[in-house]
Amino acid sequence: SSNEHKLNFKKSKEACLSYIQDALLQKQWKRAAEFLTCYVESLEKDYSREHIGPSEMIWRIGTEILWHHSQSSMKEFNCFMEQMKTLGVKRYLKVCLEHVFHLLCNGQTDEAYQNLSLAESWRFGEQTAIQDKEMKLVQAYRGLLDYYSWSKQKNILLERGEDGFSDLAVEQEMHGYFRKAAVNLKEIIKIPGVWDIFVKCYVDLLEFYGDHNEARQVLNEYAYNSKFPANPNAHVYLYQFLKRQRESKKSLISALKILHDIVPSHELMIDFNTMLQKSKKRKKCRLGLEVIFAALDYAGWKENAKAWSCLARQVKQIVISEKHIDWIKQEWNSRKDWWPAFHFSRYSAKRNWQENKSLSYEKALVAGILLGKGCKYFKYISHQGCKAQLKRFRMLKKFVNRHNPVYLRISG
Amino acid sequence: MEFPAALFPSYFGAGPPQEEGGPAPVAGWGEHGQVLEGGPGRRQVQPAFVPRRGATGERWEAADAAAVPLLLPRAGCWIPSPGPQDILYRSDLCRKLRVGKSGATLDFARQLGHFFVDHPEDAFGSLGRLLHKNFYLGNSKLQRPARSSTIRMTALVEDIDRLEARRGCPRQHLASRLRWFSHLCRDWLFEVPLEVLADCLHEELMQQWSNLLFDDSLTGGALAWLPPEDGGTPVGCLVHPGGQAMNHLYFQDVVLEELPRTRGSPVQFELSGRIQQVAAARVDGQDFVGVRSDYHCGVWRVLGKRGAAPTPLQVIHTDVPASCLTVSPHLPGELSVCTQSGTVYLWSIETGLQQLRHDPQTMFFRDHSPWRWSDFTAHPRVLSCADRTGLQCLDARAPKRCHFDLFKVGEEAGCQQGERVVLPMYLGRAHPSQYLVTTQFSVYVLDERLPLVPVLKWAHMMKAPPLFVHLMPGKPGRSHKVLLGASRTQELLLLQYRDSFWGVSSGGSQSACQLAGTPQKLHSIAGCLPHLPTQLPHHHHLLQQRLTAPAAGLAATLQEDGPHKSMLIFQLSEAGDVFCQRLTHKAAQPPTSPSRDEATTAPGSSPLFKAPATSPQGLAAALRYRRWLRVLSRVCKEPPRHTWPPSLSQRRLFTRRDLEGPAGPSSLQRQMRQRLRQTMEEGGRIQHWEPLALQPPPLPQTLEPAGGLDSLSARLTAAWAGDWEQWWDERTSFSVAQRQRALRERRRRQKRAQGRRSLSASFTSSLTYQSELSELSDTGPSLFSPGRPPILSQEGSPPAGSPPVCSPVTPAASDEALLSSQSLRCRGIPKERRKTLRDYLSVWAEGPPEPPEPLASQASQLCIPSSQSQLSSASQPRRKRPRMGF
Repeated sequence: SSNEHKLNFKKSKEACLSYIQDALLQKQWKRAAEFLTCYVESLEKDYSREHIGPSEMIWRIGTEILWHHSQSSMKEFNCFMEQMKTLGVKRYLKVCLEHVFHLLCNGQTDEAYQNLSLAESWRFGEQTAIQDKEMKLVQAYRGLLDYYSWSKQKNILLERGEDGFSDLAVEQEMHGYFRKAAVNLKEIIKIPGVWDIFVKCYVDLLEFYGDHNEARQVLNEYAYNSKFPANPNAHVYLYQFLKRQRESKKSLISALKILHDIVPSHELMIDFNTMLQKSKKRKKCRLGLEVIFAALDYAGWKENAKAWSCLARQVKQIVISEKHIDWIKQEWNSRKDWWPAFHFSRYSAKRNWQENKSLSYEKALVAGILLGKGCKYFKYISHQGCKAQLKRFRMLKKFVNRHNPVYLRISG
Repeated sequence: MEFPAALFPSYFGAGPPQEEGGPAPVAGWGEHGQVLEGGPGRRQVQPAFVPRRGATGERWEAADAAAVPLLLPRAGCWIPSPGPQDILYRSDLCRKLRVGKSGATLDFARQLGHFFVDHPEDAFGSLGRLLHKNFYLGNSKLQRPARSSTIRMTALVEDIDRLEARRGCPRQHLASRLRWFSHLCRDWLFEVPLEVLADCLHEELMQQWSNLLFDDSLTGGALAWLPPEDGGTPVGCLVHPGGQAMNHLYFQDVVLEELPRTRGSPVQFELSGRIQQVAAARVDGQDFVGVRSDYHCGVWRVLGKRGAAPTPLQVIHTDVPASCLTVSPHLPGELSVCTQSGTVYLWSIETGLQQLRHDPQTMFFRDHSPWRWSDFTAHPRVLSCADRTGLQCLDARAPKRCHFDLFKVGEEAGCQQGERVVLPMYLGRAHPSQYLVTTQFSVYVLDERLPLVPVLKWAHMMKAPPLFVHLMPGKPGRSHKVLLGASRTQELLLLQYRDSFWGVSSGGSQSACQLAGTPQKLHSIAGCLPHLPTQLPHHHHLLQQRLTAPAAGLAATLQEDGPHKSMLIFQLSEAGDVFCQRLTHKAAQPPTSPSRDEATTAPGSSPLFKAPATSPQGLAAALRYRRWLRVLSRVCKEPPRHTWPPSLSQRRLFTRRDLEGPAGPSSLQRQMRQRLRQTMEEGGRIQHWEPLALQPPPLPQTLEPAGGLDSLSARLTAAWAGDWEQWWDERTSFSVAQRQRALRERRRRQKRAQGRRSLSASFTSSLTYQSELSELSDTGPSLFSPGRPPILSQEGSPPAGSPPVCSPVTPAASDEALLSSQSLRCRGIPKERRKTLRDYLSVWAEGPPEPPEPLASQASQLCIPSSQSQLSSASQPRRKRPRMGF
């Protein structure tokens, strides 16, 4: 009966698919390709109601095979993609985008641009929400390519400007690219998402044409709109922009303070700490200590010599001035039960000494002050340092011995 | 670690997942996802782009055609966990009724019946004792004074027996007597009220069934690899569970060679529960190994130096089963524990347990699963805790106040509807702030610094959810390798991802995460089956059952030996087997035309183990296999139950009256018995029971081979029983004289049988019948060939492998006499015992019960030439009927 026939057909289709899957997972591209030619038959009698139909499967599998198959060429790939685009209306934009990505990764920017333009002009009835998103992406990527063209023209102009003559045609073209890029980039960055490259390019365009207010607004929106994810880069871009604009210390600090609140382990925290240490205000110095302590809580900072030297410097300052030892005490309070095992074990002393002497110096200083001269880490490092007859370590030992009472005050 | 300067573009939505979906078989292929400018600078003429997926990765190729066993099977056969056939109701009637309806019917009645039969004391103990005097099991009529207080149960028992005999018959209807009895006593007969008991049983059944569909207790895996110390000898330690109940913890040293081998015997600990998870982390040069069973968690410390014995440090007991145990990679002696009640603890060896959260509800939306997980993060005081709906991070110093959402099943991560978290894992060894989350559809890599938005997402297309994950961090500039493992299907997938694609040389800037290379399927344990030498069907079945046991753990290690890089992957199965496979790194090559491996690893190509001489390693693997198979067949000797002959209780063939008979044996019986005895002494046979048939009994011709089966069938039957080697030995060592005698004997029989050929036709129809006959008549020991298949023997001879016990058959007549209750009374057996005795005897008459412990196989077990198997007990492995765990 026809029902049975359908069932059999479905079964053999599934079997074929599993063979293909198996071959793909074992990187047997040739075998997979052979099976795929059989699987194409499944298009004819597509009864499936699954959310990935055979045409999408063929697109996905075929693409994967053509990426890796030893005998495939870009021409074949393009041809296959064109066929796939006509295979399903719903997926047209998606396939276009993937095609463009592949062209871009292979350095064929012009072809990619053509494809994007074609995709942009595509219309088919009412668009679904997903298609709408895809269309926005198509436009954004076209904007990005326009931006690269703009930046190419800009470089040409700059070079020629150095030589002393200007080219009106090139300049015109450049402005044309700017307009096209700006329109498209502006659109996508309004929608919540992670748009790092688009934002960067758009801000670059705006800055070049001197529209700093718009740039600032864009960056503020990207960083502080609560509908956007808490992307550290958004804050970084804002900070870098403010720095380029030579904004006041205060606004730089407030930008970094927010970054510190969301990502205490960000690498900019070193800059932040240095900035705060230089400040004359007590409150800011205090914040600086907090920032560097918080950064060193993270496993990724464990062996960061720069951060340890920041902390060592500030702790040393505080100990010498004998003011604000309570700051250290407060920071140390929430860490004293686990920092010794985390940072100042004998094992890490040995390793730090072997791998990075200056790191071990900074750490030993901090350890000596926070945990006293009896601390394992300090004892090991100062012993090794003295043995190696390094002056700096002898000084360190002296310094810690002299300020041992501080330890009692911190731990008490 | 620096944050990537730019991330791949993506949309960010909020709310429940929009995308409809389900398992999509090819969803992970053919997509770049997004691209990002990946060039070192903007000054370049052509910006170079890198894709999120589809970049080239390292090439790793399997060194062998299949995974190779690392450990020899231990004594004590594996008891498979219950399968659908044990739990579900199987009946044609039921199937017909259920056509079109999804959902399984649990065979509740059968399991309840099992409980009553297996634990009568727990089911009916006290009332049974009370009513002891009022239930009469004999056959005779009750006397007057007793009748007022005693009821006769015989008819009831017969009804039950009849019901049992008609089990599965669509026409069965309850006997009214039974219905009457059950109405009368269902309220008071049971020790535990029936409703309560039934509720518990049903709950347990549902639990078992849902475990069959998806068993999350194994999450995380029960295999850990403690790598050798840097620069030390290449000896690592494999921590794995074993034993029949998987309650022994082994620390086994393993030498990393071409084919890793065990060294010395393992350090062994016996625990009080089945080991569900083994987690390990190295802190300050010491390995901390956490072991989770349902109600206990323990922690061991192994010093970096190999050879130092592992020290148990602490054990905790939980009231609710624990679902997670992870070991801190930051601080020595810190672990995190979750229980199914939704409690998360930070467990420190020094300070004890600290409760971080207690919430029986799931975090982001309602989900029924009590599964919870917890792991460490980049900050040693911040722990992540997960349920099926997502992940949150909490600060242990202020868990109520300080927390943030790291992952949510929702639009934020672009999840599908119905997607659930299966296993989260901290990827600290590769990148201090990255996290891996697997769901049944996809894998996600998350960065703590950018919560909720996955920095990498890929549909893994595995058939079963990945319960095991193993990370092998790559050196700077190289890809990190992640292994995903599923339990039921034993799938194993190798992924590579990179978190810096600009390379260290060009500024060393961190860049966005990208998937490198295509995912690669690795050998599963069961994948070796087609490569093994052809087995006998029932051996094959056993082997298949053993090898397809669900996977229970995963561990791996990277090994660098100069230019040669290889990857060793260990996989543990629920049967306790550990298999390993090696992948070798191939330096970047231009994709070649159909490579050699493509041809050889294709299914149907020549199996490695048939031509092992091609490579020395192949030979070693083949030898390893051979040894493993030999030990396995020795350890699990008992043949599967279903090959036993169908047996019939002769009690059911006769009515009670038939069995009763006169008080004393009649003269005819006496005569018969005498004849029987006489024949037995002579070793002859009785064909006709006519009293005057004194002529030599007619002998069907087909029975002739009983004296010595023709060599082909003898060999085949011996081979079938697995004793082929023995048969050969015996055949070759058979002395000539013996052979001649046998020949002479045979010729004599042939001559005798000449005239009776016509009779033979009626005996050839059924092999079983024929063999029964031959057994009842051929009682002389000389007539048994040594390699006689036990399948054909009926009187409880031990199963394959040991020579059959040639005991004379209990004469049927005396059996009957024994069974009759009058004769029992004659022997002074009290009436309440008679039933027991009768049942006992009828069991013997019915067929082989549990076979007696064959000494031969015990002895063979004791001399396993293995370096690591510590024989815990030499008891005969017995394949038990999988049954509910009461």
